[in-house]
Amino acid sequence: MPDLLQYLSATVLAAGISAVVVLAAGAPGPRWAAACSRLREKSGAVYVLALGAGLAGGWYVLRLPVSWPPASGLSRLLTIVLPLAFAIELISACPIVPRWLAWCGRLLVAMSAGRILLHGSVYLSGDKAGWSAVLAPGVYLLSGGLLLLVWTLLGVLSRRAGGLSISLALAQAALCGGLATMLAGYVSGGAASLPLAGALVGCAVASGLSKYPGDSFVGAIGVGAVALFGLLYIGHFFGQLSAPRALVVFLSPLLCWVVDLPVLRRQPAWRIGMLRLGLVAIPLIAVVMLAKRDFDRDTLPLL
Amino acid sequence: MRRLVFTSIVTAVSGLFCLASGGPTFAADEYAYDPVHSSISFKARHLDISWIHGRFNEAEGKVVIDKQDPAKSSFQLSIKVDSVDTANKARDEHLRQPDYFDAKQFPTIDFRSTSVKQVKGGYEVTGDFTMHGKTKKVTLTIEGGKEAEFMGTKRIGFSTQLSVKRSDFGFDKTQIGLIGDEALVYIDFEGARK
Repeated sequence: MPDLLQYLSATVLAAGISAVVVLAAGAPGPRWAAACSRLREKSGAVYVLALGAGLAGGWYVLRLPVSWPPASGLSRLLTIVLPLAFAIELISACPIVPRWLAWCGRLLVAMSAGRILLHGSVYLSGDKAGWSAVLAPGVYLLSGGLLLLVWTLLGVLSRRAGGLSISLALAQAALCGGLATMLAGYVSGGAASLPLAGALVGCAVASGLSKYPGDSFVGAIGVGAVALFGLLYIGHFFGQLSAPRALVVFLSPLLCWVVDLPVLRRQPAWRIGMLRLGLVAIPLIAVVMLAKRDFDRDTLPLL
Repeated sequence: MRRLVFTSIVTAVSGLFCLASGGPTFAADEYAYDPVHSSISFKARHLDISWIHGRFNEAEGKVVIDKQDPAKSSFQLSIKVDSVDTANKARDEHLRQPDYFDAKQFPTIDFRSTSVKQVKGGYEVTGDFTMHGKTKKVTLTIEGGKEAEFMGTKRIGFSTQLSVKRSDFGFDKTQIGLIGDEALVYIDFEGARK
C-alpha cells in the first residue's frame, strides 16, 4: 500500500544527507587537510559520494526489496549497475586517470546495463516468448547508445555551464519518471526514483551554498543519469510504463542545451537556470498528466 | 518333437531370467495435465472483509502413478503467471507487475514432488514449491486418484488446496495491504494418459 509519508521521508532524507555530505566536505578544516580539500574540489568525487549517501539513506527508508543474488530488475540495478556507475565515476574523478579510460568505463556500463537489468527475464528465455538473437543485442545497443548520449551531453553541458540547474533538471525528470511509473502500476519501482530526485536536489542546493566549481558536478550527473535510465528501463520492461513516456522522461534533461544557444546564452545565470528548468518541465508535466489520466481511467476503479 | 524341446528350453530360460530380475515389471502410468478439464483457482482477502477470486488459465504438468510402488509416483505442475485472470483486465495487468507476481521476471509458479506417500483417499506429497523466484518445501494432501476411460483415453483426477503467504515468497512487503498476505489456492488436476 503506497505510504505518502514514507515517500516524503525518503526524499527529504536523501536530500538532507546529500547536502550535509557536500557541506561537510567544504567546511574549513585543519591546515593539513587543505591540500586534500583542493583535490576533492577539483575531482568532484564529493558530489558522487554525496549522491550515493543520499540514495542509500532514501532507499533504506523505502525498504526496497534488495536481495543477493539479485533476483529482480530493481535488485540488479541497486546491487550491480549503480555500484558499477559509482565506481567508474569515482575512478574517473581521480585527476591522474586519463579521460579515455573514464569513457571506456562509461561505455562498458552503458552497453552492459540493459543486459544486466533483463537477466533471467522472459525476454532472454530463449523460447518463443523471448527475444530473437537479433532483437536482444539491438535493444542493448539502442538503449546503451541513448544512455551514453544523455550521459555525455549532460556531462559536457555541466562542464561548460555549471551543473546546478542541470542537476535540478535531472531531479525533475527523476521525480516525474517516478510518478509516471507509480501511476502505471509499478509502485515500488516508481518510489525508488523519489530519493534520486531528493539526492540530486540536495547536491544542487549544497553546491549553491558551497564554493565548489560547477564542473565537479559531472560525476554525480553521470550516476544520476544511469539511475534514471535504470529505473525507467525496468519500469518499461517489467512494469507498464510505455516506451514513449520513458523516452520523453529520459531525454527531457537534454532540453537544457537549448538555453546554451548563442541567442539565449547572454542572459543572467539565474535566468538561464530558470529557463532550463522551465523547458525541461514542459514535457515532464505532460507525461505525468497523461499517466494520471490513464490511472484515473484504469486503476482508480479497482481501489 | 524337436520344436517342443526347443520351445520348452526357451520358456525355461525366460522364466529363470524373470526370476533373476525380480519378477515381472509394470511400467508406471504417466498422465499429462489436461487444461480443458482442470482448474487452478485462488482467493485472497480484500481489506480483510471479503474475498477476491481468480484463476490461472494456463498450466502444464504431469502425474506419474506407480501402483506397485507408490513412493515412485511423482507430481509436477507449472502454472503460467501471465494467464492470471480475476475477471478484470486492469487488475490482471496490475497483478503481473513487479509489485505482485513480476511475470516478466518470474513467468511460472512451479511444484515438483520430492517424495510421495500413499494415504487413505489419495497421496501425501512433499515437494518444492517455487513462486516469485523463491522455493519452499511444502506438503500437500492430494485427494483422488480415481481413473476413468473415455474415448479410448485413460484419465485420472486429483484435487488439493494450499495456503501461501506472499511475504514468504519475497513479494514486496510494502505492497501488501489492500489485498491480504495469504492466498488460498485450489488445484483440480485431470490427467490424460500419454
